Amino acid sequence: MLKHLELLVALQDLDVMITDIDEVKKIGFKVAGKEKLEEARSELVRKLSKPLLYNYENLTKRYKRAIVPVKDDICLGCFMRIPTSLITRGRSDQEVINCEGCGRVLYWYD
Amino acid sequence: MQVVWGNKNHAKEGKDKQMEVKDLLDYFSQDLFVSKLKATTKDASLDELADLFVKSKIIRKKSIVLEMLRKRETLGSTGIGKGVAIPHGRTTAAMDVKIAFGKSEEGMNFDSIDKKPVNLVFMVLAPPHDENNRYLPILGKLVEVLSDLKNRNKLKKVKTFDEFIQVFNGVE
Repeated sequence: MLKHLELLVALQDLDVMITDIDEVKKIGFKVAGKEKLEEARSELVRKLSKPLLYNYENLTKRYKRAIVPVKDDICLGCFMRIPTSLITRGRSDQEVINCEGCGRVLYWYD
Repeated sequence: MQVVWGNKNHAKEGKDKQMEVKDLLDYFSQDLFVSKLKATTKDASLDELADLFVKSKIIRKKSIVLEMLRKRETLGSTGIGKGVAIPHGRTTAAMDVKIAFGKSEEGMNFDSIDKKPVNLVFMVLAPPHDENNRYLPILGKLVEVLSDLKNRNKLKKVKTFDEFIQVFNGVE
């Protein structure tokens, strides 16, 4: 079972896929209609808690991407250093951490 | 079924400059090369190639990437025919654009559009925040290179990463 953060990441990946679908089709790949992806999105959304989804949807209105990478403990959305207290919690993937600077959801690569 | 190969112009639509075949070389690496895939099924090959990304520390969580790739496959197989598959996607889990390559001697069922077994698998992963917009031109250029029978035949024979790079270096 996917954890909350993984569900959010899957949602963002799906949203990116929906955006790319027409371009990918032009390259020559066989791609079914967007409806299939929209269905998958609805299914994923049902698994997310309301506050997390609300947070994600709000962030996507403000920013191009709601979830951004953290590299060398820097949020690559606003380039603010992440406080040490959040780093251990963030790396564990056990909870969804928002950047204290820009509010985006943080995803650790290392 | 008619195999529709890529729109050549698409490979030229980079934001900053036209993508050349040699530009693809930046996205390959020895760590992301397998001359003999162990996998004999589509799903196992996705898993095996995704593993290379984890081992090379390009991604941390394989499950996220596999979720995205499998979802992509449900939309239509990335087996584009003529023994080639290019599973691809942008994922939050990837830090940079990279291409893994795996070769299957026997070929495997990839639900390809021409129903033929796949020998050459290129997995392209990119981050959603790829500001230079390299992902789609890379996909386009790969499709263009692989649409040439000569290139496919050469790739089917490669045994080492150097030989693999030489094929791309030799593309006219």
